[in-house]
Amino acid sequence: MMSPAALIRRAAPVLACIGLLALWQVASLALKNDSFPTAIEAIRAIPDILGDKESLINILASLRRMAIGFGLAVLASIPLGLLMGRSRGVAAFFNPLLMVIYPVPKAALMPIIMLWLGVGDITKTLVIFLGVSLPVIYHSFEGAKAVEEKMLWSGAAMGLSPAQRLVRIVLPAALPEILTGCRTGLVLALITMITSEMIARQSGAGNILFNALDMGQYDTVFAMIIIVGAMGICLDAIFERVRARLVRWSEPQFDIPLSFS
Amino acid sequence: MRTVSKWILALGAAAAVSAGATSSWAQQTIRVGWTIPAEESKYWMMRRPAEFPSIGKTYNIEWTQFQGTAPMTQALAAGALDCATQAPLSLANGVVGGNLKAYIVAQHVFEKPGGFSVYWAVMDDSPIKTIADLKGKTVGISVIGGGTQGPFNLLLKQNGVDPARDIKLVEVGFAVSEDALRQGRVDAVNMNQPFAARAEAKGGTRKLFSLSQAMPNIVHILEACRADFVDKNPELVKTYVRDITSGMKKALANREETLKVVNEVLKAPIPVLETYLLKDNDFGRDPGAAPNFPAIQKMLDIYAETGMLPKLDVAQFKHPAIVAPLQ
Repeated sequence: MMSPAALIRRAAPVLACIGLLALWQVASLALKNDSFPTAIEAIRAIPDILGDKESLINILASLRRMAIGFGLAVLASIPLGLLMGRSRGVAAFFNPLLMVIYPVPKAALMPIIMLWLGVGDITKTLVIFLGVSLPVIYHSFEGAKAVEEKMLWSGAAMGLSPAQRLVRIVLPAALPEILTGCRTGLVLALITMITSEMIARQSGAGNILFNALDMGQYDTVFAMIIIVGAMGICLDAIFERVRARLVRWSEPQFDIPLSFS
Repeated sequence: MRTVSKWILALGAAAAVSAGATSSWAQQTIRVGWTIPAEESKYWMMRRPAEFPSIGKTYNIEWTQFQGTAPMTQALAAGALDCATQAPLSLANGVVGGNLKAYIVAQHVFEKPGGFSVYWAVMDDSPIKTIADLKGKTVGISVIGGGTQGPFNLLLKQNGVDPARDIKLVEVGFAVSEDALRQGRVDAVNMNQPFAARAEAKGGTRKLFSLSQAMPNIVHILEACRADFVDKNPELVKTYVRDITSGMKKALANREETLKVVNEVLKAPIPVLETYLLKDNDFGRDPGAAPNFPAIQKMLDIYAETGMLPKLDVAQFKHPAIVAPLQ
């Protein structure tokens, strides 16, 4: 038998969502604005989108680009971040470059990248890659930098080469921080996935969202926002479960998870 | 060892043949930019390719949707697109600022006399009765520096209103024009279909002036192809223009099917499209998709007169043979 406090704790995320939707409903009814439909109108439009084969193909096309962009970014950024964290030379070389790119909105790069790489999938995947790679590099860098020197000395004393120390000592020790970066990157991948489809697109969730915006179909616009938000929550919850399993050893005993998982 | 070499040679030959085939196939693909709304001939080509015998057989089209015509101008100038929907102003800006060389091969919509013309609306009870009354008011326009601003500026000047000093011009997208007006965020705002039809059905607003007062036959969107692409692939572009001509004919001949096609592309409900699409309160479409070069020249002159562009001659956009209608 669950206690009332535990029940409330368990239901808290759902209650928060219901509260948000209720607030939205009241605000929309009060404002009486055509471009701000009620929560109920937006929710009613969701089955139409998810029941349409073409819309599903579009959403899957976006998710495919997002998965490729995210995967490539993680593969490239973790080694770079670890190297930067352990080598002053590498850090000195890449830091200024990253500091210049970091604050630039990645969607703003779209028109320029489009001129170089065309209007196809590569451009959009590159924008996602850029959006994801910076937080992953930064967190990998911080994680690698924080590794205790004593552990590395011990590894060296046991005959581990610098590369072996990076893989067998630095990588596991920095893993909690790296995965925090990956989690931020995952959310940014979702955001850049949509913004990369704002200017030019052949397929994608942006097709549904921006066409509806152009045509003034605001129930569809808000329904897509809910769908993208739900996708973010699901992806984050899955990732958080994986992360918790991988780095259980580093978690504090009493933790308040910032997740739906 | 000899067998291995033979296999390598065979693989090399196969690769060369397939590369040749790929390159010849690539030549038969046109990369086309499009946007919404009002490109019915292209929507037909996209959604009913079986109606066009050449599509998928003698050539392919790689469609990319853009948000407005300006990014398509950039993509054309960069060689990322071969043909695209353009507004006369964006195309001219590409020529002036981006060294773009292009031909106008077809026309999508224009303002036919008696048909729909983009107009500025005010609330019924507004004290604004004439263009001159706009002095000191907040006026909405869909895109500052966009295609409608030339004739808009001209009309204001003709009525003693300095567009730069006498009004506060704000950007309000067509989709939210009606809301902005009804909520008092703007005193006057430009309206386009289908939003104009929706606002008129609700009532409470009235037309102040329309672009047709500045000039008749305003060309809103046309089809342009990169000149180097046309010169290199004249037969391919001819086939494409032939299909645009045929698409326009199909769109005008079968309104019921066109409503379905447009519904599939825009995802706008058919009852909404029914209120205006291809009716008297819609833009005009030339049955052969023929560009109205004199009207485009007049627009370029207006842009030059209002300081938006240097003087340009429309002849540079005209190909001697490849232009709609092509049968």
